[in-house]
Amino acid sequence: MNDSGYRFDASRKTLAQRVFEAPSVGKMSPAAKLIAYTLLLTWTLIVLFPIYWVVITSFKDQAAVNQGPFYIPFVDFQPTLDAWRVQFTEDPNCNVASIARQFGLLAHNSVVFILSPIVTITPMEPQICKIYLAFTNSIVISVFATFLCVLVGSMAAYALARIQYQPKFGNIMMFVLLIVGVIVATSYYKIPWWVSSTIALVMFFFLVRSIGRFFKMKLGNGDILFWIISQRILPPIVVVIPIYVMFQAVRLLDTHIALILLYAVANMPIVVWLMHDFFANLPIELEESAQLDGATRLGIFREIVLPLTRPGLAATTMLILVLSWNEYLFAVFLATVKVQTMPIMVAAKNTGEKGIFWWEMSALIVVMIIPVIVMAILLTRFITKGVLSGAIKG
Amino acid sequence: MPSYNSTHQPESVLAGASRRDRFAEWVDRHCGTFFIAPAVTLILIFAIFPTIYSLFFAVSRVRFTPDGLKFRFVGLRNFSKQFFGSAEVHFLGRTEPVHVIGMIIFALIVIAIVWWWFRSFKKATWVGMIGRTISAAMGIFLSWILCASLLSGNAIGTLYTTLFYVIVGCALQFIIGTGLAFLCSQPISGKNFFRVVFFIPLMITPLGIGYAMRMLADVSKGPIQPLLGVFGLGDWVWSVDAWSARFVMMIGDSWQWIPFIFICMLAALENIPRDHVEAAQVDGASSFQIFREITWPQIVPVAVTVLLIRMIEAFKIVDLPNIMTGGGPGSATESMTLNAMYIWRANDLGSSAAIAYLLLILTVVVCASFFNYVVLGRIRRPN
Amino acid sequence: MTGNSTKTSVKFENVEKSFGAVQVLKNFDLEVEPGEFIVLLGASGSGKTTALRILSGLETPTGGRVYIEGQDITDVLPKYRNISMVFQSYALYPHKTVAENIGFPLKVRKVSKDIMDSSILEAAKQVQLDGLLERFPKELSGGQRQRVALARAIIRRPSVFLMDEPLSNLDAKLRGHMRAELKHMQQSMGITTIYVTHDQIEAMTLAHRVAILEKGVLQQLATPAEIYNNPANLFVAQFIGSPPMNVVHGALDGSNFITQGVRIPTKVQGNIEKAVMGIRPEDCTVAPTSEGTLIGKIYTNELIGDHTLVTVDWGGDQISVKAPKDFTGMQGDDIGLVIPSDRLFVFDESTGNRVR
Repeated sequence: MNDSGYRFDASRKTLAQRVFEAPSVGKMSPAAKLIAYTLLLTWTLIVLFPIYWVVITSFKDQAAVNQGPFYIPFVDFQPTLDAWRVQFTEDPNCNVASIARQFGLLAHNSVVFILSPIVTITPMEPQICKIYLAFTNSIVISVFATFLCVLVGSMAAYALARIQYQPKFGNIMMFVLLIVGVIVATSYYKIPWWVSSTIALVMFFFLVRSIGRFFKMKLGNGDILFWIISQRILPPIVVVIPIYVMFQAVRLLDTHIALILLYAVANMPIVVWLMHDFFANLPIELEESAQLDGATRLGIFREIVLPLTRPGLAATTMLILVLSWNEYLFAVFLATVKVQTMPIMVAAKNTGEKGIFWWEMSALIVVMIIPVIVMAILLTRFITKGVLSGAIKG
Repeated sequence: MPSYNSTHQPESVLAGASRRDRFAEWVDRHCGTFFIAPAVTLILIFAIFPTIYSLFFAVSRVRFTPDGLKFRFVGLRNFSKQFFGSAEVHFLGRTEPVHVIGMIIFALIVIAIVWWWFRSFKKATWVGMIGRTISAAMGIFLSWILCASLLSGNAIGTLYTTLFYVIVGCALQFIIGTGLAFLCSQPISGKNFFRVVFFIPLMITPLGIGYAMRMLADVSKGPIQPLLGVFGLGDWVWSVDAWSARFVMMIGDSWQWIPFIFICMLAALENIPRDHVEAAQVDGASSFQIFREITWPQIVPVAVTVLLIRMIEAFKIVDLPNIMTGGGPGSATESMTLNAMYIWRANDLGSSAAIAYLLLILTVVVCASFFNYVVLGRIRRPN
Repeated sequence: MTGNSTKTSVKFENVEKSFGAVQVLKNFDLEVEPGEFIVLLGASGSGKTTALRILSGLETPTGGRVYIEGQDITDVLPKYRNISMVFQSYALYPHKTVAENIGFPLKVRKVSKDIMDSSILEAAKQVQLDGLLERFPKELSGGQRQRVALARAIIRRPSVFLMDEPLSNLDAKLRGHMRAELKHMQQSMGITTIYVTHDQIEAMTLAHRVAILEKGVLQQLATPAEIYNNPANLFVAQFIGSPPMNVVHGALDGSNFITQGVRIPTKVQGNIEKAVMGIRPEDCTVAPTSEGTLIGKIYTNELIGDHTLVTVDWGGDQISVKAPKDFTGMQGDDIGLVIPSDRLFVFDESTGNRVR
């Protein structure tokens, strides 16, 4: 017999080997499998239980909540629709037609805002019940904010990924100073914003042509990208007080536009960061070929680049939609009455003297989180495909 | 073979190339500027300018009058109040008396930081040296507060409550999130189900989580009440003790943020080339050796980046303490953002801005130090 | 023949290009006659693609000028140059159908729908794609994708055609077929074409003239036959030909090349301490040891089919010879080689220049 060779006999495995060793490559040992599934199922329970609890609480009545924990509907307690009914009956204006009216109102008020430099029209006051109002406000604000944010952010990301960009340091400083001038002029000296910004734009072009050439120091794409992304570090509490004062000066407090702009800016770093990665990974020949064929940059962006990054764009859009939907701090400061979003409305329920009606609160929370859970399930499809994983590679 | 002789191209095709619309060409040449200008302008107006403007608030006493805000310059009084004045205990915590152990630990930390600072003299540029000096100063300051308050058995203030949320939260979430990601990267069935379920909490409105956690953590009517009875904690109330309140807060925060770590780390784990692991298996490495020698070094760059992102967001925590405890008991669970919000509600805009600024400085210094010394160091190191 | 009126000349004048400290193109001069098919041949990193991209306008040269039809276009945007380019990856837009891909150059020029449709059909017919217009690129084979790229390039009748290794993603059989078609198309359309490749067979078969580049310097610009039979320097001599030209190190003494003590008569005169002799494998013959100019040991022999390639050890060099297919020498046997002095090139080893 040749004893130097290694021989393996599957039937001679000890019990310990059978339990703790993988039967073959790419499989797990029985013990490891048991541990893994136990842990994973435990965590599934931890994740789902709070959601389950909120949902069942929304079907409880006062007694079922206050008399201690009841876990299973129909067994422990008799579910009722009281908490849900209250949401839609506390106000006589609450009916389905209100949603349609709310959109008409929004269109009217946007036109009023756009025309505000030219003619004076009083914006219409919303006349509908709180839950519709908050829900439509949330939808309108997060949809428009997301659209603005993704559009502006991906344009910037594309420019940073593809166009060699070397602004002179002096020009940037001038731009910053002029913007500061516009803001000060608008909020302090009450000069209409369209006058001051036009003057500033004209001044900027003259200054770039004249003074601009004396500055030599230049920035690169990487610097600008890093600057934009690092804006995410800024805690919102730092900017919210000045922004409150600024919006007060231009009478934009408690309007959709204020929150739309703020959400768009707050999420801009995320869009730029994610989209920059998608754009940089596109094969550059496609764009070069289009360039030779005579397309303009804008044409290339619209015709070639955006359609090709559609999965990334969709995932980013959903992410921003959810973040805008969930935002709380800016809304607390800036949306006092008319444009209350869902989170603000839910938080306002906290202030009752008789304590919180948990069943009603739960119903509100369910209304608030259903859209985001749907989004989350849609988003995982992209994450499974690895659409969003590129950016975090470091 | 096809014949090319019949080729006829319309004239207009050629004509299109020679037509030069001067304006369109000017726009096209400056397209980069037009693409980037909206984003930059928006950020300048709504992020940079307010940050500068906020400094005005922070050095003034601000009053509301019928014709707008009135600023009165008070120098650094709003800041000094947080360190030496009326808000000292609230912000820094109680720093007296200092226990001997606190002294000793502080001395050790200072020695370590100073040694690190001196050692980096040789290799760092002068810009790097300024950064290191700032990091070292912040480190010494923070460790002094830590040793004087927490390690000497005194109560901590909002500064360390915030840091507690950041450090403990990040650590807890990173460990559990990475562990779950590792489990999910194993050959198990139902991967996609776990992925979807584990991802959900990240997307849920933090405010909703606050209320849900408050319901769950209710010791008399919540679902864990029978469980507490089993452990003989029937009359225990977490919300009256500072530390238990903070830890309950951490549970809520972790429930929301573990999915973020999980998703990122899972992506990192699945990006590892299959053949690296297979080569190690053929070489006879055990699962643990494979993890330590092959997997871990490859996911470290992602891990530190993810930690940095999580850290940046953790400094902003406000919804959860606001909803779950309203900052209580006392101010035990107040984060700095929440503190600034309450002071704003009390119409003290100057102090509010000052606290916000302190938070900004803290965030920037901690995150920039982490980025420079950990993230960049890890990424540059060849694996 | 049609299209004579659109034949266009191209001229590079002292073009230089560097990326940071790396100079990828040095003093590049090239004049392309109207209607000519020029192949830029070189290894990767030789600057051939950079030259093409400078002509297309995707890169701006750091020095020198570029002319199309005598007009200085160095700073003109790509879209005004009226050139079209076929990329190595074909650069087909995956979200557009074949018809939309082909019609894209017209679409961005806002050509009316009827003209566009008829042009697309015509261009597709020229490259035999008529039945596939509604497909997407991912539903096509490699050769079909190649044709789409070609159709997109010819649809607007460019004055210059640029091709960046268009055949290198195809398999060997298809490559030969597409090569023939490309050549036919260029001949009949008469469009000036500049073609970049690293494949010498493509260069030799397609080109009217071949420009060989190495490290950013133009080595030789000549017809394929001239390049093969009369290489300007050692690099060109070794780059062209398969198997490559044999190289033997030695010295040139008067009209004799001395290697390993053997004197080989040459047609050139000179005294060079370190010289290199080049001889193509098909130009030497095997012979019995008594008749050979050189006598060496057989290193290996490979039966190719119509001939046997015999490799002979000669000092530090190896000499390959095309022998008859019934050659029966064994590894290690002594063999004689006959080297005709009129088929032999001598190069200066230090400069690489040909000694004439």
